[in-house]
Amino acid sequence: MRHVRARPFDKLRVTLGGITGNPVAFACVLVAMALLLFVPLGHNGYLEIVFRNILMYAAMAYGWNLIGGYTGYVSFGNVTFFGVGAYCAGVLSAHGVQNLLAYVLVAMVVNAAFAALVGLPVLRLRGHYFGIATLGIGLAVADIVENLDALGASSGIHLEQADEAHFSIYYYAMWLVALGAMLATFFIARSKLGYAFVAIRENEDAAAVLGIAATRYKIIAWAISAMMTGAAGAVFAPANGFIDPSITFAIDSNVFPIAMTILGGIGTAAGPFIGAVLLAGANEVLQNAFVNSHTLFFGSMIVLIVLLLPRGLVWVFGLRGGARTWLKTLTAFRA
Amino acid sequence: MQLLAQDLVNGILAGGILAVVALGFSLVWGIMNIINLAHGAFVMLGAYATYQLTKSFGLDPFLTLPLSFVILFALGYVIQRFLINRVARAPILITFLLTFGLSLLVVNVALLIWTGDTRGVTTSYSGANFTLAGVTVPWIKLDTLLAALVITGLMHVWLTRTRTGRAIRATSMDIGAAQLTGVRVRQIYAIVFGLGAGLAGVAGTLISMSYAMTPSMGDPFLIKGFVVCVLGGLGSVQGALIGGLVYGVVEAFATQINVTIGTQSISGSGLQDAIALIVLIIVLIVRPTGIVGKAVV
Amino acid sequence: MSLRLSAAAASAALLAAFAAPTVPVSAAGDTILFGAPISLTGSLTKEGHLTQEGYDLWKNYINAHGGLKIGGKTYKVDIKYYDDESKNDTSAQLAERLIDQDHVNFLLGPYGSGTSFTVAGIAERKKIPMVEGNGAAERIFNQGFKYTFGVLSPARRYLEGILDLAHAAKPAAQTVAITAASDAFSQEVAQGAAAWAGAHGMKVVYNNKYPDTATDVSSLISALKQTNPDVILNAGHLQDALLVQKALREQNVIAKAYGYSVGPDTPDFANALGKDANDVFGGAQWSESVKYKGEPGFMQSSSEYEKAIETTYHHHADYHNAESTAACLAFQYALEKAGSLDTEKVRDALAKLDVTTFYGILKFDSRGLNVFKPMVINQIQNGQLVTVWPKFTANGKPVYPAPPWGQRK
Repeated sequence: MRHVRARPFDKLRVTLGGITGNPVAFACVLVAMALLLFVPLGHNGYLEIVFRNILMYAAMAYGWNLIGGYTGYVSFGNVTFFGVGAYCAGVLSAHGVQNLLAYVLVAMVVNAAFAALVGLPVLRLRGHYFGIATLGIGLAVADIVENLDALGASSGIHLEQADEAHFSIYYYAMWLVALGAMLATFFIARSKLGYAFVAIRENEDAAAVLGIAATRYKIIAWAISAMMTGAAGAVFAPANGFIDPSITFAIDSNVFPIAMTILGGIGTAAGPFIGAVLLAGANEVLQNAFVNSHTLFFGSMIVLIVLLLPRGLVWVFGLRGGARTWLKTLTAFRA
Repeated sequence: MQLLAQDLVNGILAGGILAVVALGFSLVWGIMNIINLAHGAFVMLGAYATYQLTKSFGLDPFLTLPLSFVILFALGYVIQRFLINRVARAPILITFLLTFGLSLLVVNVALLIWTGDTRGVTTSYSGANFTLAGVTVPWIKLDTLLAALVITGLMHVWLTRTRTGRAIRATSMDIGAAQLTGVRVRQIYAIVFGLGAGLAGVAGTLISMSYAMTPSMGDPFLIKGFVVCVLGGLGSVQGALIGGLVYGVVEAFATQINVTIGTQSISGSGLQDAIALIVLIIVLIVRPTGIVGKAVV
Repeated sequence: MSLRLSAAAASAALLAAFAAPTVPVSAAGDTILFGAPISLTGSLTKEGHLTQEGYDLWKNYINAHGGLKIGGKTYKVDIKYYDDESKNDTSAQLAERLIDQDHVNFLLGPYGSGTSFTVAGIAERKKIPMVEGNGAAERIFNQGFKYTFGVLSPARRYLEGILDLAHAAKPAAQTVAITAASDAFSQEVAQGAAAWAGAHGMKVVYNNKYPDTATDVSSLISALKQTNPDVILNAGHLQDALLVQKALREQNVIAKAYGYSVGPDTPDFANALGKDANDVFGGAQWSESVKYKGEPGFMQSSSEYEKAIETTYHHHADYHNAESTAACLAFQYALEKAGSLDTEKVRDALAKLDVTTFYGILKFDSRGLNVFKPMVINQIQNGQLVTVWPKFTANGKPVYPAPPWGQRK
């Protein structure tokens, strides 16, 4: 199959998996998504939760991928948006609103506004400092929510749930959120927005000189990222039935989407999904196999991923020279 | 008024420990550009090292300071040489994840060895204190602060006066130029990381005397270490000290806020983490090089 | 090409691996299967293991004594565990897995209020009865759940005994200072204590909270010291209980009674503090000196239970052991009364349960909470734990007021 790609970015394609990444990989992902539609038909509540979580992490990974992968602003606090989205749903539920769509829409609007507001000062920071600032934001928001009685403080909020017969609605909703995030990433990547993001990542000052309004695009990237992540949170809240600061602002939830995106292929349209499937799947298998010490193996896994696949699987797929070139990359980062 | 003075003293005493925690973290970050998320786990190991040494050999915890340093230095050196070095020049994201995974590993191994039981290091002088001008000062905390000052001073001297110290500073300034003058960068990196771990171990020893230990005890110290680092200025020894003291004092004063508006209580103590982090963010935006500014160690 | 193929194969294999249904280890013929997600790793590891010990002790005792006789048939019991890593949402997922994949008959609770809450939601939705012994937060039971029962005394009652003691002393204590961790359980304990104090004419002169991640509480204690309280209470967990007690010592805070919701009952507290742990009160769900006589079917006295734990696990029985075993006992007696494994019949039998065990009375109010069992107050005296309240189960007299620091034996 021959694919037309913008020529100036061919080099980018080899080094980063291209703007959208390997199109075959993306096609596989779409097929996998279609297959996932059949999960609720098995009437196995546990499996439904497992796959729903994969979809949730995929959406969060896509969110991170947009700001961290495409725009190059590595955020360590994206879980904040997840939490804000979840609490939007929680507050609505406490006021009698049971509508999933309402949860998602409100979560997206609130998160976009929140990201834009916070992004104005914070996106002026570069590199490490941006990362640390976002980490700080996440922790600060979690702490504030824990102290706010109006949001249930540490006791959290209990949400009304659909009954057992209709419970799969949460699965389908999460599927839609993941699909939305996926497609949005794909189309944004091919659009002017996507090129602007990548330009900012590659050399922000040069991009500014070329007339790309960096500040505006950064904020847009973060706002979209926030919307994806927040939507996932808004569906998670009623699906779980209960939210509190420790669940919705968990530090681990920062790391998983990042690890997944790296594993799958950073800055690609297929990577986050692939990473989500593999990592969440591996976690389940480990939980079964090593009831007492699976965190130990999970930690080892993360270390191995970082050492062996720092650019992700999708990129590895596209390598010319296959395994040999891959082996060479293992020493690329040595001091 | 007396309460304010007491708070000031409390804050300075608490800040001393945080300064030592931040010191190792700051050096590794400033010189090697690596944010070591396993730093909290190293602190924990230092605490447990002290626990074992005091339990098995009956040593006074202060005497275990050099031992804790040596053990953790060796561990850090080995980890850098054979693990971290593979991604030494990778983007920050990669090292971040690697050290996160490493942290999980270390904590879980500790869990297997020492179980989840909470342990403490107690001495005959554990609660002893004296009162000066109405302010009560616990002896252990004061000794901890003094140890922190000594360690910070020693580090500063070592980094500015010794050959290796100068080589380290040269490496952080310009790797290429340093290599041209014969500095073996790989060796320096291993030393610096070892140093960071050793300092974490020392911090752990000091902490073990005031704070009960469990394998997951490192987390809050890691976060506070972050804030202190940025507050004081990356890679700067004085920065870590000043940042630590400022942080400790701010936290102490914030604790006094305790008002109730309607049914909502606003507790400075309950919000202390949020306050610290907001201070962090403001410092990052307004003066990212920290209080001391961008010193090259 | 081959890389792509092998990666695709790997993902397919992984998906298949956990999608493949495990062989259902259900009530095959004559075994009743209980499911329990507990914290085998994570911040609550220690308590999770104590919970597991409590469950396993009961299981082994029952199986060794001929199993359970229900509706004319004899059943063995088995328990399937998963590690929820001390995380609330993981616990809920594992509960679903236990129900849907492993086909357990009933659920035994996880450790902790947060996890118990989320699992209760699952139990409710799936209509599988759950009895828990390790989540005392009342919010769990204020949701109108019908399938969850808690054998422990609610959080609000944790510290009442200490206030009662101090209030009844001559001269009566007048003022109380309360410090609490930010988590839901500790906050409920603190609110309960404040409410009791208010209702009995005692004044709360200081009431503040600190985050679970606090590394230093000196300034909190300095402010507390200024208010000169008669009684100092802390609602938190072991780590911060130690911090608070150390800070009280270091700042020479003198009060007539010191009480902790969690801490004194674990040997770690006394080990870490040495003499400074003496004369401190602690609230406990159970203590080995408690003098209830249990109905037949299981060990009938606390001392028998203590010996069993000591022999099997080589440590003193912890109240986490006992309350977990009590959860199993609730099922045992309810199953026998119901005479069947039908979940609805068992649920109803649990709702009507009224039985005394070595742990205390097992009876639930309309919300499913065991408000009928009082907390026990222990005091560390000379390094030993002595039960001092309520009077009918005390085996020692309380030391009140506490002697000054440095003079404790």
